[in-house]
Formats: sequence, C-alpha cells, structure tokens
Amino acid sequence: MTSRRQLLQASLTLGALQLFPGMSHAQAKRLVFATFTGSWEEAHRAVLVPAFKKATNNAEIILDPMLSVDQIAKVTAARNNPPIDVMLHDPGPALTAIDQGLVENYPVATSANYKDLIAEAQEETGPAIFFQVVGLTYNPDKIKTPPTSWKDLWKPEYKGRAGITNLNSTLGTGFLVEIAKMFGGSESNIEPGFKALNDLKPNLAAVAANPGALATLFQQGQVDISPGNFNAIQILKARGVPVEFVIPKEGAIAFKTTIHIVKNSPNRELAVALIEAAMSPDVQTKLMQSPYLVVPTNSKVKMDGEIAKVLAKDQADMKKRFVFQDWKKINEQRAQWIERFNREIKL
Amino acid sequence: MSTKKSLPVTAYPLWLASPLALAMLLFFITPLLMLGVVSFYSDAAMTQWGSVANWAKTLDGFGLTVLLDTLWLGVQVTALSLVLGFALAWSFLRMPARLQPLIIFIVMLPLLTSVVVRTFAWIVILGRQGIVNNFLMDLGLIEAPLKLLYTRLGLVVTLANVQLPLMVLPLITALQRIDMNLSDASASLGASEWQTFKKITVPLALPGVIAGCLLTFSAAITAFISQSLIGGGQMLFMPMYLYQQVSALSNFPFAAAISLTFLATVILCVSLFNMLGRLSRGYANG
Amino acid sequence: MAHQKDFSTILFRGTLGFLAALTVVLLIAPTAVVLIVSFTDGYSLKFPPVSYSTRWYVELWNASHLHFAAMNSIQVGLATTLLSVVFGVLASLAIVGSKSRAARTLDSLFMSPLVLPALAFGFAALMTFSAVGWAVSITTLIIGHTAVCVPYVIRTTSAALAQMDPALLESSASLGASRWYSFRFVTLPLIRPGVMAGAFIAFMSSFDNVPVSLFLRDARTDMLPIRMWQDLEGKLDVTIAALSGVIIIFTLVMMIVMERVAGLSRRLRQG
Repeated sequence: MTSRRQLLQASLTLGALQLFPGMSHAQAKRLVFATFTGSWEEAHRAVLVPAFKKATNNAEIILDPMLSVDQIAKVTAARNNPPIDVMLHDPGPALTAIDQGLVENYPVATSANYKDLIAEAQEETGPAIFFQVVGLTYNPDKIKTPPTSWKDLWKPEYKGRAGITNLNSTLGTGFLVEIAKMFGGSESNIEPGFKALNDLKPNLAAVAANPGALATLFQQGQVDISPGNFNAIQILKARGVPVEFVIPKEGAIAFKTTIHIVKNSPNRELAVALIEAAMSPDVQTKLMQSPYLVVPTNSKVKMDGEIAKVLAKDQADMKKRFVFQDWKKINEQRAQWIERFNREIKL
Repeated sequence: MSTKKSLPVTAYPLWLASPLALAMLLFFITPLLMLGVVSFYSDAAMTQWGSVANWAKTLDGFGLTVLLDTLWLGVQVTALSLVLGFALAWSFLRMPARLQPLIIFIVMLPLLTSVVVRTFAWIVILGRQGIVNNFLMDLGLIEAPLKLLYTRLGLVVTLANVQLPLMVLPLITALQRIDMNLSDASASLGASEWQTFKKITVPLALPGVIAGCLLTFSAAITAFISQSLIGGGQMLFMPMYLYQQVSALSNFPFAAAISLTFLATVILCVSLFNMLGRLSRGYANG
Repeated sequence: MAHQKDFSTILFRGTLGFLAALTVVLLIAPTAVVLIVSFTDGYSLKFPPVSYSTRWYVELWNASHLHFAAMNSIQVGLATTLLSVVFGVLASLAIVGSKSRAARTLDSLFMSPLVLPALAFGFAALMTFSAVGWAVSITTLIIGHTAVCVPYVIRTTSAALAQMDPALLESSASLGASRWYSFRFVTLPLIRPGVMAGAFIAFMSSFDNVPVSLFLRDARTDMLPIRMWQDLEGKLDVTIAALSGVIIIFTLVMMIVMERVAGLSRRLRQG
C-alpha cells in the first residue's frame, strides 16, 4: 500500500517536471508560418506544407492563420523573440512591416525561383506569391439574377441579407476605397465611401471579423450577397455550398500578396526553403487547380481551367481586368478610418 | 518565535500567504501598473512619453459611449439572469428532493463546459436559418426570418445564458438559508404567496442576489468571445475596443489607457456591489 | 383559509414555475445542440442535421493541429492547477480565521482576478513579459493562468477550513502534536475534498481560458479554446463540433467523479 503510494507520488513529481519546459529539454525548433485564415490555410496545409517538408527532409512547420495586421501586432510585441518566422502580407500591412523594420530582405541572388516571377511580383523585401481577387459573392439559390455591379449591394430587395467585413481586414478596407471611388471619391477622399456604407446599413445582415468568417456566413445561410475574396469561397463551393463569384463591371480589386522573412527569426534557413517552395512552379501550379484556384505569380505557370474562365486568360489580361489600389495613401489614414468605422457603422 | 507562541493552535501564521502575495505582486499587480506607464506614451511606436493624449481620447465622447454601453450591456444581462435565476432557485427549493441533484448538475454543466462551445451553439440557435427562426416559421408566426444573431437582444440572451450558473448557485444557497418557518408563518397570517415573496423571501435573499449579480455583471462585460461572435462587427464593447487597438492597430499605449479605464470602472462597480452587500446583510440579519 | 389557493397564488406559482422551466431548457439547449450537430453528415452547422454520421469524429482523430493545441492546453492546465493548489492552500491557511487588516487585504488581492477584466490583465502581462525580454512560452502562459485560477482553490479551501471544528486541532495540540503534524493528519484529510474541488475548477477554467491565452499564446504554444474559436469563426470547421462533443463528455464524466469524491456541487455553492 505504502509503496504504491510512493510510486504514485514519484510518478506525479516526474510528471510535474515534464510540465515545466525550462526543466526538460528545449522544444525542437519549428518553423512558424503565419498564413491567412480560412481557405488559404487549407490550401497551404494541403499543398505548400508537403512541398516544404519534401524539400527540407521533414522539417517541422506550424501554420498560424491570422490577418496580416494581427501578424504585425504579434511581431511588434516581441521583436527580439518573434513568435512568427514567415509572414504573409496584403499590400497595406506589407508596407507597414517594411517601414517598421520587422522583415528582412529575401536573398534573391541565391534564389532559384525568384527570377521566374513576373516583374510585378519581384520585390526584394518579400516576393509576391499570389494575387487575391475581390469581387461579388452571392448565393445562387437565393439570388437568381447574378449581380453585375458593386451598386447591387444597395438594392432594397437585399434588405437584411448583405454582409461585409470590418476594416481590420484588407478586404474591408479595399472595399471601402472601391465604393468611395465609385461614388466620386478616391484613396485621399474617403467621404463618399463612408456615406455609402451608412446607406448600406439596412441591408447588412452581418459585419464579419475577417474574410474567412464572411465566407462561412454563406455556409450558415446568414448572408446571401457580399463583397468577397475569389479564393475564400472556392473550397466552400467544392463542398457543395451554394455560392458564386462574379467580377463587377467596375473591375475586381486585386491585392498582391507578399511573403516575408521575419527579422531575428532563428529559423532563417527553413524560412527561405518555405518561400522557395511557395514560388516554385510546381506548388503554384497545384495551387492554381481546383479547388484552391490561387492566382499564380510565376511566369512559368500557365493560367488555365476555372481561373482562365472566370478571372483572366494570362498575366497580361489580369493586369487589364484588375484594379490595384494605392496602399501607401491608404495606410496613412487607415487608423482614422477604423476609428470612424467604429463610430459610424455601430448598431 | 514569539508569534508562534501567541498564535492559537487553530490558526496559521500569516507568512504562509507570502509566496502567493509575492507572486501576485510580481505577475498581477506589476503588469497592471505597467499599463499605467505605457498609457502615457503619445505614439504607437512608444518613443514620446509624458502625454495624456490617450487618456483624453479614451474619455472623449466616443470612448465614454463605448464604456457606458458596455456597462449597460452588463446591467441588461444581469437583470435577465436575475429574473431567470431567481425563478429557478425558488422552484428548486420546492422541488421533490430527488430532482434537486439533477438540477444542480444542469446548472453546473455550462459553468464547466467551454465558453467557445456554448457561444457557438447560440449561433446555431439564433441564425437566420437557426432553430428559433425555423420554429417560428414552421408555426407560421413569421414569414421571413427574424434577425436575431448580431443584435442586442440576441447578445443579451446569449450572455445571460452563458453566465446564468454564476447567478443561480449563490441564489440557491441564499434561499436555502431562509428559514422556511418564516414563510409558513407569513402564510398563516394570511399573506398571499406574492406578498410573502415580496416581504420575506426577496429581502432575506438580498446578500445572495448581490453576490450573484456581481459575478454575472463582471463576467458579462468582459466576455470577449460571446460579444464578438454573437454581437458581430457592428457592436463595440470595451474588450473588443481594447483588442482591436492591440491587434489591428498595434497601438499599445491607447490600448493600455482603455484597459485601465475599464479596470477602474469595474473596481468602482465592485465596490458599489460590496457596499450594497454589506447594507443588505445588515438588513437581512437585523 | 391559510392555504387557500386563490388566483393570484396560482398565477404567481405558474409564472415562476414557467420561468424556471424555461431556464432549465436554456441551460441544456446549447450543450444538446452541440452534441447533436457534431454528428452531422454535412459541412454546415445547421440544426437539425439532414443526415447523421460520425465522420467529424474520424476527422478529429486525424486533426494533428488540434491534438497539438489540446496537449498544450492540458499541460498548461495541469501545471496551473499544481501551482494554484500549492500557493492557494498555503494562502488559505494563513488568511482563514484571521481578522487582521493584513489578512483581509491579502484576501481581496487574491480574489481580485475573479472580477477584474482578464482581457486587460492578459494584455498587461504580454507587455510586461516583452518589456523584461521574456518570449511568450508555456511558462508565461502558466504564470498568467495561475494568477486567474488560484482564487478558485482559495475559495473552496477557505470554505472547507472555515467549517472545521477548532476543537479537533485543540485536542490534537493538547496531545502534543506539532502544528505540522496536526496539519498533515487532521487538517489536510478534512479539507482534501475542498482542495480537490477547487483544483478541478481551476483546471477547467485554465483549460477554457480565452482572455489570458489570447495575448500570451503563439503558434508554438497554441491553446485549444483559441484554436477552436479561430477555426469556428474562420472556417466553420465542423470538426470543432466533434471536439466539443468530446470535451462535453469528458467534463460530464469528471463532474460525476468529482461529485462523488469531493462533493463538487456543495462546494461550488458555498462561494
């Protein structure tokens, strides 16, 4: 009896030691890649991670999906011990990260794949590995005539059925800029955009926290129409959720998405291996196919299938059909816009 | 040594609390003081110290609206929990004894299950194609689905449910302490059950009511997950306001000012509840 | 005459009874809904599911990122519980029964994490740790969780101590037992159920903690509730419903066990 108790106590003590990492062996170094939430995470988990593992002899990698802005906050809070090794950024946050010195330049000279990227994707601070395309998403079961313009969101028949995201996400901010432009404003004159958002209020069924969350609202039948990321809905669509994407006649908003090595990362070599894999024609071709449909940046990848049908035939056509925004100007005012959104779009 | 001699055998020396006191000082009080220091930086990059700009911004018209709205949410949730919780606690004592453990079990279950899980269930319940809407449409009471999710009403109901155990448990304890003979005496003197409830039960249960309200209130105003998942992006309460400044804007000084304002307000509310608690105990005992 | 059931009495009882029944339904509904939805065959969380299967439980079996977060959460939960019990029991012994001003002040200090907004504390802790150059790790998470979980142990332990008959300790001392001996062989066995109940609540609240983990976690120290929240919000991943089902069953079993060995419900109400 006594011996059993002693045994129990001894094992408990040993177990307790295991609980405090300082006392046991340090954890193996895992590469942390902060990807985006939702379909991006699924696509990267399915395609990029296996390619990375193959290239690095099964090195460990963790995906930490979050918004670009959240990645910056996390790294800012611990510059010397960054909790992330590789960041993925929309154009606005990418500028912030570079300005604040959170990232280091990519070793382009020694890179095998960098020179094959299209000219727009070649950025020494962090190469672009795909484009995001924002248009209108809608539920074809509930909306029989496909929308054709951003303006359709304001139609009275969509009362209580439309969704948007808040300005924490690039999607929300980009959408605000686009509607400001549509109503006579610009990156430096956002007034018409806010006025239009205010008019949209009766139609709003939801203001989602991020693009991934917005896409899931279709899955739950909570919204029937919203500005949406082309990729965010593809996996839902493949699962049979009724949701479609159209490019509005004003043009699709496009975001160049860049990938960066975080300064002070202890896993620099693995980080480079991941970025190489993300630029490689192999990975980009796989990601371009169904159900991921990610727009490639490697000139060796020929656009075909669904992407060619819905978005653009090739990289030249893409530049014509996509609208790019001035994120330098947007960044200067974004904090004020978020504050104003807080004040004005409140219920 | 001298303390040991003067200390009665049933008591333990106060220094036994010093490890925890030290740890709390280092890891709880110091961080909160740290907030105070950080809040005086005027810029997000934390280079210029000695400005009250963040405080001015926290307490300007908009900041105050968010604060008051958060407190008002707490009051609404507490009120609803109190009504539901009191009814349950009152009925609990009049139930057959063998049912009582089951009820306690049902009350405790949500207290110990994940708040993320419970909140998510409410999305399924309140959604446009959720349980409530489907039920009402099947009955023919409504034609188009009601908007319940992302509304104030939906949020209050959800939070009241999530926090209900915190209200019910102290209430049951308080009501159990009331001498049943008092109600019997009241009834035999011809008082109606409602009068007895009003004149005897409620006043005597006040300490429990206040304890329950304090816990429910402080849990409801800081319930970040429920507020953001059920409230949606169009509502802004202090926790989300704070989180947004940290995550989307990396503005730590402003977030620190928001945190401290929130903390100070909660401390004020708690003191108020404690004062009421003392008064009510005096009332209930005397 | 005294027990005459007039209309107002019936109305009064009816109203309270109805509200009570409604409350019970409200309390059970979320748990029941999650359990049922977790057996859906589809990709969305609609209720009731169109068809049933256990596919999401199979998915859960393969979801290594969830296993990773769960292991971290369990690790942090156990360490937090251990620390909370050691610190909490010592503190309870010191402050129970003492009417001194110092003891009352300490009591308020120890209890304050229960009512103060934990989100503000989580943020403050993150800033402090990064100011002194500590990277977030399992250790910083354990520290943060312990600060907010130790009050539960103190509450149940103090209640158990307050109920002890002082005569027991007096007679033990009069028989020549040292204070330590009395603690070990008289006090400890009597307060053990209270300590265990507190430890259980501390573990569950660490395991379920969002506000502190939100700031102190990172990808290498992923915490289960945060992972669940993000996967639900961002992907509406039905696997999370299955995981919730597992957690609910685990909680139910643990509650029954703790009720048997520690009289959990009685101790929760003494708060």
